Formats: sequence, C-alpha cells, structure tokens
Amino acid sequence: MSGLSGLMEGRVVLVTGAAAGVGRGVAAAFGSAGAIVGIGVRRPEAAEETSAAVAAAGGTPVILKCDVTDAVQSAAAIEQLVRDFGRLDAVVHNAVSGRSSEATDFENTTLDEWEDHASVTVRATWRLAVQAYPHLQKTQGAYLLMSSPAGIEGSERAPFYSAVKAAQRGFVRALAREWGPDHIRVNSVAPLAISPALENMKILEPERVKRIEGLVPLGRLGDPETDIGPPSVFLCSDEARYVTGQTLVVSGGRFTSL
Amino acid sequence: MVSSASTLVIGSGLGIGSSIAQRLRARGDSMIELPPKIDLTNAELVSESLRSLIGSGTVDRVVLAAIDPSAFRSAPIASLTEDEWDQAAEYSMRAAFVALQQVHAVLADGGRVILILPTVVATGVAGLVPLCTAVETIRVMAKAVARRWGARSITVNTIEVELAAFMLGDNDAGDTEIPVVPVLGQPALPPASAVDDVIGLIDMLATPAAGAITGALLVADRGTVMQP
Repeated sequence: MSGLSGLMEGRVVLVTGAAAGVGRGVAAAFGSAGAIVGIGVRRPEAAEETSAAVAAAGGTPVILKCDVTDAVQSAAAIEQLVRDFGRLDAVVHNAVSGRSSEATDFENTTLDEWEDHASVTVRATWRLAVQAYPHLQKTQGAYLLMSSPAGIEGSERAPFYSAVKAAQRGFVRALAREWGPDHIRVNSVAPLAISPALENMKILEPERVKRIEGLVPLGRLGDPETDIGPPSVFLCSDEARYVTGQTLVVSGGRFTSL
Repeated sequence: MVSSASTLVIGSGLGIGSSIAQRLRARGDSMIELPPKIDLTNAELVSESLRSLIGSGTVDRVVLAAIDPSAFRSAPIASLTEDEWDQAAEYSMRAAFVALQQVHAVLADGGRVILILPTVVATGVAGLVPLCTAVETIRVMAKAVARRWGARSITVNTIEVELAAFMLGDNDAGDTEIPVVPVLGQPALPPASAVDDVIGLIDMLATPAAGAITGALLVADRGTVMQP
C-alpha cells in the first residue's frame, strides 16, 4: 500500500457502507493514503474492525452513524466531518441494500423489493450528492460511487441490483457534466471483489467460488483493500484531477468489453 | 380484444410512443395500446388493463416508450426536492419494472420486446441527471430480462433516438423546450424522420432473422454519437 502514502494526507473522506467488505477495504486504503476517514455505518458498534483497519493503515478513523436511507443521518454525518475537520474532500457511496446478494424473482416480486434497492443505491446517491455539494464545491473534491459490473452487463439472477447499479453509471455521466464547472469530479468503480457473501460461499460452496475465479484472467477475486482500494483512492485524489464521468472496471480482467 | 399477431404499445400518449402508435395504426397493424394516462407503477391496474385488452390471448410484440415528462425539465440536482427527484428519475424506473413484469405474463413465446429511450447517457447531460439515471437503469433492466426470458425465445432490445425525437416524435416542438444534449459530432447521415427510423428497426427486430439479437442497444441517431 506504500504507493498511496500521503496521497490524501489531511483530506477528509466519507465512506458509506464501510462496516465490511469493499467498504471496509476502501476505507482502509484511504487510511493508507493519510486521510481522515468518516466510516459511515448503520450500526456504529459494527464499525470497530474498520476503524482499527483505518488506524493501522495510518489514517484517522471517525465512526459515523449513517443509514443512507435516512436523510437526517446522512446530513448529520457530513456536517459532523465538516464541523470537526473543517472540510470534506470526497464522498464514496458504497452502501447497498441488505438484500443485494439475494436473487430477485423479477416476474413475481413487488415494488417493495425494488424500493429496498432503490432507496439505498438510487435515492441516497442523489441525496448524498446534494448534501455534500456545498462542501465539495469548496474543496473542488470528488464524488465516487461504488457501482458493479452487474450494472453494465445486466444480471439474470439480480435484475434489481443490476438496474440500480446501472442507475449510478447514468448518474455519474450526467453529474460529471453538471459539476464540471465547479471542478468537482464524479466517477464510479465497478469492482469484482471478495465480499462477506463470497466469503460464506467459499466455505459452503468452494467449487462455485473456484468456477468464478476461473473466469477471471488474473485467476482470483479482488481483495477489497489492496485491489479495489487503491484505484478508488486514486480517483478521489489530485492524481486523477483530469478524470471525471468515468466508470473504472476493476475486475482482474473478468469484464473486458463493458 | 385481440388474440394473436398483435403489437402492444405502452407510452402511446406522448412523443415518439404516440407517433409509433399512429404509424402502426395507419398501416393497419393489429395493435393495442395501454391507456396513455394509466399509472404504470400500479401493477394491479396495468394487469387488469392488459387483461381487458387481451383476455386470455397473448401479444407478439411490445413497444415500450415510457419516460415521465418531468424528466425532461432541465434543472441542477441540488435544486430538486425529494419528490421532484422521485418523479423525474425513479417513477420511470418503477414504471419500466411494472410494465416489463406485467408484459411477461401476456407475451407469446418467441415474442419481441422493444424499449425506446432517448440517447442521453452516452454523453451525459448537465441538468438532466434524473433522466440519464433513469435511462441507464431501464437499459440494464432490459438486458437483465433479456437474459431471463431468453429460454422462451423472447428477445428484449433497446432502441435509442435523439432526445428531441423521443420527446416530439412526428410533432412540432411548439412551445416545448428541448434540453440541449452535448453532441460528439454532426449526424453522419442526412436528416430523416426518427419515427421512420425506429419503425424500420422495430420491423427488423420482429423478423426471424433477428431472433438472435437480444439485450442489444441499437442507436438510431443517424450516426451522431457513434458510441465506442
């Protein structure tokens, strides 16, 4: 992680959905880059491991109660960071619905299930942008959405998850144009990484995980901290000052034509 | 009520959906339309309406061109209330889900689903974040159902046209304000009716020769964007 050293020194970043998986890895990577990392989680008691990972990496962790479906909580999380540290340089929206790894029976389900996905991945994407906007204007900061390859290819098993992740891609392209004059950059990362669901699958269905890994030219699933974290930090750093409106697919070559 | 060989048009109340319905009707196609003002997010209502039109029969082809008009109002996202965001972005997503779900129940095996969308995501449009968000959502939802319904030889494809063509179809702009979409170049082909272009593609997709095309995006903008 030495390549990230100092890249976000003194910068203030909010990472939502940071209790585990990709969110934890990305938060730790920002820690390696020297950032003050707001760890946005629904249950603060679940953020201890992430907090320790950020601190161990060299960053400053700040645990924030931030259920992104609650406008008051997400506003308060942003305001707390600005009040305590005087600035906000980046927001990484990584939180997803608790049902994101479930299969969706598209032909028989109802709008309630859609709402579970949309409230976290679509509405909160808009709301976090609006709430962070005045602060990102001041720092000429960055807004990064953690999308998914499923949001590009369309998943048979997870049509709602695919659709809301696609929403973020459309959002990024349009908002990059809208916020370009403010010098706020808007990008997304589409990662293929080990998640808590995949960790379970490794135990319960190791052959299935092997099959998935066999589809990846680099032969393995990405590590949230060391594979997904650095490109995410890069996109929020000054090193990516001329990059906006993009989706970076970080998948070990699994998706080469998206 | 129809029993076979019919086209169902959803979104025939406005713009290109209206013009497509008129053309199909004028040339004598067997065609049915969902009531233009139906609330497409109400699954029960849509289901009842389909059953009253189709009975126990099926349709062979569905054309879906339904974006809520509020999505065409250009405004910075920071100026939108939550209700305005919902109407401009999320309503059309819900409508697409409900329409596709309900259509599945009345679609014949080997049927064709064709979604018509404005080509705004290729470039992104400042002021139209809700529209761009909705369009990409619907486009990928179409891909997902294309994968799901392929076993029944149903194809699901998307045709994109320029925003003005989507909003107006054959109609004059009149007082309608058309948001400016950044273009990457001038159209390579001479101007022509976008409705004719789309009808041609709808007909093409209905042929047996197009049975292997599914989950695809066909951009009928006369070579303006030429996506990489």
